[in-house]
Amino acid sequence: MFESLNHSLGTIYFGAFAIIAVACAIGLLVVRHPLSGAINLVGVMLALSGIYALLDSPFLAVLQILVYAGAIMMLVVFVIMVLNQAKDHRVPGLDWFSVITLAVPVVIGFMLVSTVRMNLPASPDAQRATVEVLAPRLFDVTAAGPGYYLLFELIGILLLVAVVAAVLLAKRSLDTSASEPDSADSAREAQEVQKESHGAH
Amino acid sequence: MFDWILANPYAVAGLLLPIVIPLVVFQILPLLVLIERRGAAFIQDRAGPNRAYIYIPVLGVKLRAFGMIYNATDAVKLLFKENFIPPFVHKGWYLFAPGIPVITGLLGLALIPWFAPMSYVAGESLAVLSGQMIEANSGILLLFAFGGLGVYGIVLGSWASNSKYSLLGGMRASAMMISYEVSMGLSVMGMLMLVGSLGLTQVVEWQGAHTWGIVVQPIGFLLFLVSMFAECNRNPFDVAEGESEIVAGFHTEFNGVKFMTFMTAEYLHVIAASVLLATVYLGGYQLLPLPLPLDGFDAPWVDLNTLWLKNHLGIIAGLMLAGGGAGLLGFAYLLVGRRRTYQANDANAVLKAERSKEYGLYIAVFALGGLGMLAGAVASVMLMHTAALGQTINNTVIFPGWVNAVTAFIQFNILIGKAMLFCWLFVWVRWTLPRFRYDQIMALGWKVMLNIALVNLLVTAVIAKLVR
Repeated sequence: MFESLNHSLGTIYFGAFAIIAVACAIGLLVVRHPLSGAINLVGVMLALSGIYALLDSPFLAVLQILVYAGAIMMLVVFVIMVLNQAKDHRVPGLDWFSVITLAVPVVIGFMLVSTVRMNLPASPDAQRATVEVLAPRLFDVTAAGPGYYLLFELIGILLLVAVVAAVLLAKRSLDTSASEPDSADSAREAQEVQKESHGAH
Repeated sequence: MFDWILANPYAVAGLLLPIVIPLVVFQILPLLVLIERRGAAFIQDRAGPNRAYIYIPVLGVKLRAFGMIYNATDAVKLLFKENFIPPFVHKGWYLFAPGIPVITGLLGLALIPWFAPMSYVAGESLAVLSGQMIEANSGILLLFAFGGLGVYGIVLGSWASNSKYSLLGGMRASAMMISYEVSMGLSVMGMLMLVGSLGLTQVVEWQGAHTWGIVVQPIGFLLFLVSMFAECNRNPFDVAEGESEIVAGFHTEFNGVKFMTFMTAEYLHVIAASVLLATVYLGGYQLLPLPLPLDGFDAPWVDLNTLWLKNHLGIIAGLMLAGGGAGLLGFAYLLVGRRRTYQANDANAVLKAERSKEYGLYIAVFALGGLGMLAGAVASVMLMHTAALGQTINNTVIFPGWVNAVTAFIQFNILIGKAMLFCWLFVWVRWTLPRFRYDQIMALGWKVMLNIALVNLLVTAVIAKLVR
């Protein structure tokens, strides 16, 4: 009784998630305001994470919510809010450029459909991306292992460099706009920035 | 269908769990509002909520229920208020926003292990009913993910309100929550590293086998507590509302039911944060902070505390009931004293008679409840002998269904009791500390807490590596 129930529930859930994902994707294309578009994109990502969970990849689903829907889209929404504070302007809807760029998803969609039709061998029972499967493989530090941990560390260093660079750039503009510049150099810089901003206005 | 229900009680329990537990936890909300009001009055040394009452015609009593009636009046007022939508808002998002934090708060409750997993015989094999509604091996990550989604409610609500105060509140809230999510994740990571798993059931079982998280990770606990205050938008981190600076922050333009939904979400987040703190650092549903001695079970991964609880169910249930009964009787005794004071000091004869009747009703109810609980304590000690009921099958001890049910109930109550401690802490801090300035909050989050969390993580990693 439960097996068949679970199976049909899975189909229903997949249908619901797929409809939400497609509807939000279409919404992303047609809405006029950037923030509405961002929230629609969040909807797409949440629906995708539900589909990942249905495909026995709970860890991937969690990361999809945590990283994409939670962190990255939060940043996007935050930036849109900050930038739109003064003028609540709307972007034009579908223009010719968007129609041309539509070609890319259409091509990828064709490739996906043809891949699915090829009936690649896949075991439906496999736990593909749980923490128990992923963690030992990712952090296998033996010499015979795949060595993913080295890539992991490298990516970590890359992100650290990016963060340091961002802090440095932000710090420079913060220093120049400070009221009490502690050296003549930064004072001159501040004046220049002021001049530039006046010129811009 | 009915036969099927009788034949598969655990399957039915598993299906009912996602409905029953949120409903029960929702009943804590009005209690929490009451604690907030009475606690504020208690800390500020004033009378507190004591005016609203319901008149009961048969008994002729004006029931004030210690300020609980204020919750009813609040709900009635907010539900029946005109559902006004300001003309300048972005209507769709404005109506959509208040629901988001409620949904994410409820989803967070689904990941908490409310009781120990129950083993039972299903057909010819053993099956387990988990205490979590969502049995996820990446449990706490999912919890953080839902917490991160909750910010969208505030951000969307503030932006859709299309007003400067709301937007300022929403931007403050989102920036603060993003900042404190970092130290929240890093501070709890030390505990997870010791446990070696992300699943919350495993975290609780580890604490049952060793000791509570607050003992091994005191610094991590403090950091996590502070981060939780920030994540819940509670004082001293409630710059999102900041009523002395930006009217009411992100819910300036919300009224009626929509405002009530935001407030529900706030208290729901307080409860969820308290339960999470109790689960990760106070042993969750475990009774005592040390593994209890039990002969014949020295396997490292047997949940000894739960097994001990099931073996001594009568005594534990009796002790808890006796404690509750004594508490209720003590409260009734306090009320007797209060009634006598009113009798001596009140000049108004009508008021005196009213209060005498009202307090008489309270005293009767609490004394009866206390006596009933004491009787239940005696009955449970006399009747519940469960030590001989456990059968060992395949290295698992199987108990009858009613023992499992009573154990689950007791463990649920233990967890709620621990969570109520943190709920009171939330109220206590709110009425003790003033609101931090925004730059102070940012400096605390990025310059102090993040660094302490990193050092804590490093030291924990080194010690854990040395011990193993």
